[in-house]
Amino acid sequence: MTAASSPSAPPAPEAAAPDTQRTSGEPLAPVSRWQSARFRRRVAASIIFAAMIVIAIVMFYPFWYMGDNSFRNQAQFDQQSGHSLAGWTQLFQVLPVVHELVSSTIVCAAAIAIILVVATTAGFAFAKLRYRGSGLVFLLIIAAMMVPLQSIIIPEYVNLAKFNLMSNYTGAVLVYAALGAPFATFLMATYYRGISDELIEAAVMDGLSYERTFLRIALPLSLPAIATVTVLQFIQIWDDLLVGYLFLPTNDRTITVGLAVLSSGRTTGIPPLMAGSLVSAIPAIIVYLIFQRYLIRGLTLGMGK
Amino acid sequence: MNITAAPPLRRPRHGKLARKRRLAGMLLSIPAIILVAALLWTPIVQAVRYSMTNWNGYSAPVWIGPGAYASAFGDPIVRRVLENNALLLLAVPFAIGIPLIIAALLHEHVRGWRFFRSVYFLPTAISWVVIGMVALQFFADKGILNQLLSDVGLGSIHTDFLASEYSALAALAITFIFSMIGTNTIIFLTGMATLDPTLIEAARVDGLSRLQIFYRVTLPLLTRFIQFSFVITVISAFSALFSLIFVMTGGGPGLGTTTLEFFVYQAGFAQGQFGTGALYGVILFVIMIIVGIGQLRLIRTEDGEGW
Repeated sequence: MTAASSPSAPPAPEAAAPDTQRTSGEPLAPVSRWQSARFRRRVAASIIFAAMIVIAIVMFYPFWYMGDNSFRNQAQFDQQSGHSLAGWTQLFQVLPVVHELVSSTIVCAAAIAIILVVATTAGFAFAKLRYRGSGLVFLLIIAAMMVPLQSIIIPEYVNLAKFNLMSNYTGAVLVYAALGAPFATFLMATYYRGISDELIEAAVMDGLSYERTFLRIALPLSLPAIATVTVLQFIQIWDDLLVGYLFLPTNDRTITVGLAVLSSGRTTGIPPLMAGSLVSAIPAIIVYLIFQRYLIRGLTLGMGK
Repeated sequence: MNITAAPPLRRPRHGKLARKRRLAGMLLSIPAIILVAALLWTPIVQAVRYSMTNWNGYSAPVWIGPGAYASAFGDPIVRRVLENNALLLLAVPFAIGIPLIIAALLHEHVRGWRFFRSVYFLPTAISWVVIGMVALQFFADKGILNQLLSDVGLGSIHTDFLASEYSALAALAITFIFSMIGTNTIIFLTGMATLDPTLIEAARVDGLSRLQIFYRVTLPLLTRFIQFSFVITVISAFSALFSLIFVMTGGGPGLGTTTLEFFVYQAGFAQGQFGTGALYGVILFVIMIIVGIGQLRLIRTEDGEGW
């Protein structure tokens, strides 16, 4: 009962003296206003509230800064006063915004589709359709989570070049899919373990094959886990720089890569860069705000409840 | 693994159905195996092979052998890069401690805490490229930090923080800490939600102050979550800073902010030394394995549990 610690907790109906009820644990002798536990709790709550506002300002600061400075021209930015639409009009001159947003969307959608296919099927197999050695295979797949991208980036580049996969989206999509697959498989397997064996076997007894049981029974049941994987991967891939930068053709860059390259050139003014940052951030923020619940669950699933 | 926990098994282990089940299992796990083997495990083997060669990516590779590692560790530039990585680890206690405090504040559930939680997690959604671009303006010569310093009468400190080696590394570390706050706060908040409220209440009744409760009751019960966030934070410090470095400093000034992961990129793609780049990548992988063993242990204890 956390309510008991809240200053606004209603007194228990059977309590004759609500004040002593709230301060149980304190001496029963009359106490001054300053010493009363209730008052001290109010003060503590106010201090906490103030601290939380300060932290909120710090955490929100980047968004405010981007918004504020995107509506300036270079002179207004240098003076830090006055606003105009200059940042936004310049943005569309220096960056193919729409095309790069489309690229981001295509890359995300394709990679997530592959991740969902391999992670749901493999997750179900490792959870419900074990075979000799499946435990080891599962371990090998989730152990791949530990491979840092930078460790394999050079051979990856050589291989993708050999198969000519870097002239379009294919190479980057495959690498994103491979990087996301291990954790997604782990997450799906964990979820499928929670489905009872009886349910699966009953469907099989009714004449469905195991493959169809997966499609018709297990897959619909796992929609929450699928949502978690989708949101996690969307944010990861949308926000990534390295893979897109190295493996996508220059004219099919994602918005994040386009921005980073533009910024590193050090020739573009800050206002259009801030406008671009906002454009790139908004889709991820919207997805995040809508699916916050799933994202949080995914991030914390690694260590369980 | 959880035979003891399971009720009497009604799934036949032998016979036609069991064979079908095993076959379906193999079939359904094939796509994942192919993807991970082709794009993650094969390249790591290739990287080890490349690392022992001198290769520019075009002409035929020249075999050096394991001696390549000996000469790498003797290279003062490599040592300097590793030193940067080691210095960045100093950020880890802050990247864990600050979120712990924030989570503890949120867990008090004062009015509006859900709103605050959303605001605190907001930076988690955006790219580190974007965070790096704002940080660049924050630490710049005419930036916000210098403005703030002169506002509070410390204008004499005025400097371009990204122009000298160690202040640039410190700026990178601070930006990294900021970027980790959301994720680690989520982890700790989840951990605190699992605590038994009656324990806290009992400690309160026993007369412990909020601080005492936090130190003596909450913290010890969160050990597992702190371990997990430690692993995540160290892994990120070694392998997720590319975006920040690329946008903020480009690895400079000098080698000031070049970490191992950025060095892989520079050697391989800026200087075209595929062999050396692969070698740095393998060193990074070995470091990650050492850190990751802890993570694997954490995951394995979870094996067999549902949500």
